[in-house]
Amino acid sequence: MTLFQDPDAVPRTAASRLADVLDAFGAVGDRAAGNAPGTARRKAAAAASIARATGRSAADANALYFAGLLHAVGAIGNLGLRRGNTFSERTATMARWDFPADGARVCAGIAALPPEVADLVRWQAEAWDGTGFPDQLRWHGIPIDAQLLQLADIVARASDPDDALVTVAGLAGRGIGPDHANAFVRWFHLTGGEPEPVETPLDALRAEASPPAPLLDLLADRIDAHNATEGRRLRVTRLAEAVAERIGLPVAERDALGLATRTFAAGELGHANGEDERFDPLSRLGIAARAENAAAAAAVFDGNQTFARAAEILRARAAWYDGTGQPALTHDAIPKGAAVLAAAVAYDALDSVHRTQIREVRTAPADSFDTAAGTQFDPAVARALLDVARAHA
Amino acid sequence: MIELHERTRRISPSRLHEILAAHDARSLVDPFMGLPTHLNYLKRHGIAVHGGDLLEWFVRVGEGIVVNDQTILRDSEVAEIVEMLPGRIYPLDAFKAWEGVFFSEEQCMYLGVWLDNVRNLRSDGQTGLAILGLWRVFCYWLQKSHAPDDMPDVAPSELAWSYIRQTESWVTTNLRHNTVRSADVLTTISAQPADALFIAPPARNSFRTADARIWMWEAWWQGNPYFTIEHAYKDSLFGARSADEHSYARAIASVLSAAAEYPLVVLQTTERRLAEFEPLVRNARARVEILAPHANEIYIVAKR
Repeated sequence: MTLFQDPDAVPRTAASRLADVLDAFGAVGDRAAGNAPGTARRKAAAAASIARATGRSAADANALYFAGLLHAVGAIGNLGLRRGNTFSERTATMARWDFPADGARVCAGIAALPPEVADLVRWQAEAWDGTGFPDQLRWHGIPIDAQLLQLADIVARASDPDDALVTVAGLAGRGIGPDHANAFVRWFHLTGGEPEPVETPLDALRAEASPPAPLLDLLADRIDAHNATEGRRLRVTRLAEAVAERIGLPVAERDALGLATRTFAAGELGHANGEDERFDPLSRLGIAARAENAAAAAAVFDGNQTFARAAEILRARAAWYDGTGQPALTHDAIPKGAAVLAAAVAYDALDSVHRTQIREVRTAPADSFDTAAGTQFDPAVARALLDVARAHA
Repeated sequence: MIELHERTRRISPSRLHEILAAHDARSLVDPFMGLPTHLNYLKRHGIAVHGGDLLEWFVRVGEGIVVNDQTILRDSEVAEIVEMLPGRIYPLDAFKAWEGVFFSEEQCMYLGVWLDNVRNLRSDGQTGLAILGLWRVFCYWLQKSHAPDDMPDVAPSELAWSYIRQTESWVTTNLRHNTVRSADVLTTISAQPADALFIAPPARNSFRTADARIWMWEAWWQGNPYFTIEHAYKDSLFGARSADEHSYARAIASVLSAAAEYPLVVLQTTERRLAEFEPLVRNARARVEILAPHANEIYIVAKR
């Protein structure tokens, strides 16, 4: 399956498509870090705005924009935030200090980004007085732009612009250098503390250097690592692709499905348990949990044009064929891609349990899955999936 | 008002850790340790670290955040550091020489009280943590003297409390033996075998232009406001006897020669000084690689 085909035949530049993938990284990073939705976009806009107001170059402002957008990518898969880690609170805190450095490594691997982005992400949480993390840099050892990024973080998290001003004033000389705090005050009075809307600086991306599909796979793998479900996106994607082909899903829908199979697990980030750890994948009891995760995953991609159709699939994956799921769609009202995704995720969960059971008590996943055709799953999809599974057995 | 440096050397332990990991180095010696927060980072990531420096307060801090695996300062102990204890007689004029020049009368008094209280702490680990926390107060005061209207007024004991309490978060164990020593470079290099040697050499004659926040804190710890850093460096390899270009190069060469047994040497420098160090390293080592993430942060990575 080829990802990132243009479903509307409207030519979109490779750069804008790549920017949407980076936006997805930012949104998933926020979810993994426990930030409010939209923090990455607000931080990117604030960083670019502060950079311009403080006389930084256009290149610096562009690098700050992307560093703001990707500020939390290191949280995805961070050891202190991963599901199932057995660290003490103290050890987990220390592990969480590494997320900027983890994020820097991710950014350094995205060749399309301006080269300054990685180190801005690395040093975004350093404090002027040397008490920040991960490197405990101090004073002028912290690049100016990394301090500006920290100011943008304060703006992005503040519920009210005045709160940001109060926070920065309180941090002057400790978290923020006095000169930078002063620069912030100037910016605040120029803008009222509300960053003006910023267009994504596509010109700053070398899109040809980073094809979006491998980046999306990288994101999906980090999500799986975070959720302690290593390899799940590969299994679910293979299964869904084979089923989509068998039922003759149109190319555009298969493309959207491909995005969805790689990102559905973003909804589970931040939960102590996976949905299938709490409920049998065929159980009605799990509908609410699956719907919550589905909605959360779809919300991650709000406003992201490239992922818009995938978001529809993600949102509908907890629907049941008979209309008793959430959302309460029935039969053909359920997007075919969502029906395929729901079936593939459930089958993978059953199969995972099957693989870990001892031989004597094993229940073949196909047996239980078959019973849900016509109620939970679209019968045509279920049949195709079982055919595919048998063919691969 | 004392001048504060507009440039601060950047030691990025997360980057250094990436270099060490790429070469499978699991132990490291840093003979120009300075403030050992970078060694604390490496320790937290499982590297056995050994540092050395000539300034005693750096070594004391190392005992708090590098050697120390578990001792912290509890609230009651912090309280006994930040305020005068009833019944104890304090040398309140110990830092009177700084009064009106760098600090206020109240600040000088606190400096005397804190020194006395810290010197009465029972463990090396606690002493190191307290020195680190109080140093941050000292830096805050110096910074505030430059930007009096731009930084909040915080009561000395409150500021000291928060900074000392914060040091607890850096205390951890890596189940390895970690050391710091008050010693010259060559002594530190020969004292401890390790997989890697990290050197961030001081600039030539840098002891004459050292940041006030560094040498004044040594003066505080020594209880001598007239202390100068030249005194600490006077007989050392990188002291006055390597003041000229050739003797400085000889000193670096002798460090590299003493490091012959280390499988890996990482020398951190800047783009401006790269041409000065690269030939010396190439002369001492067969396989040399330059990593240049930033003009102010260049690593010469040399293997045997």
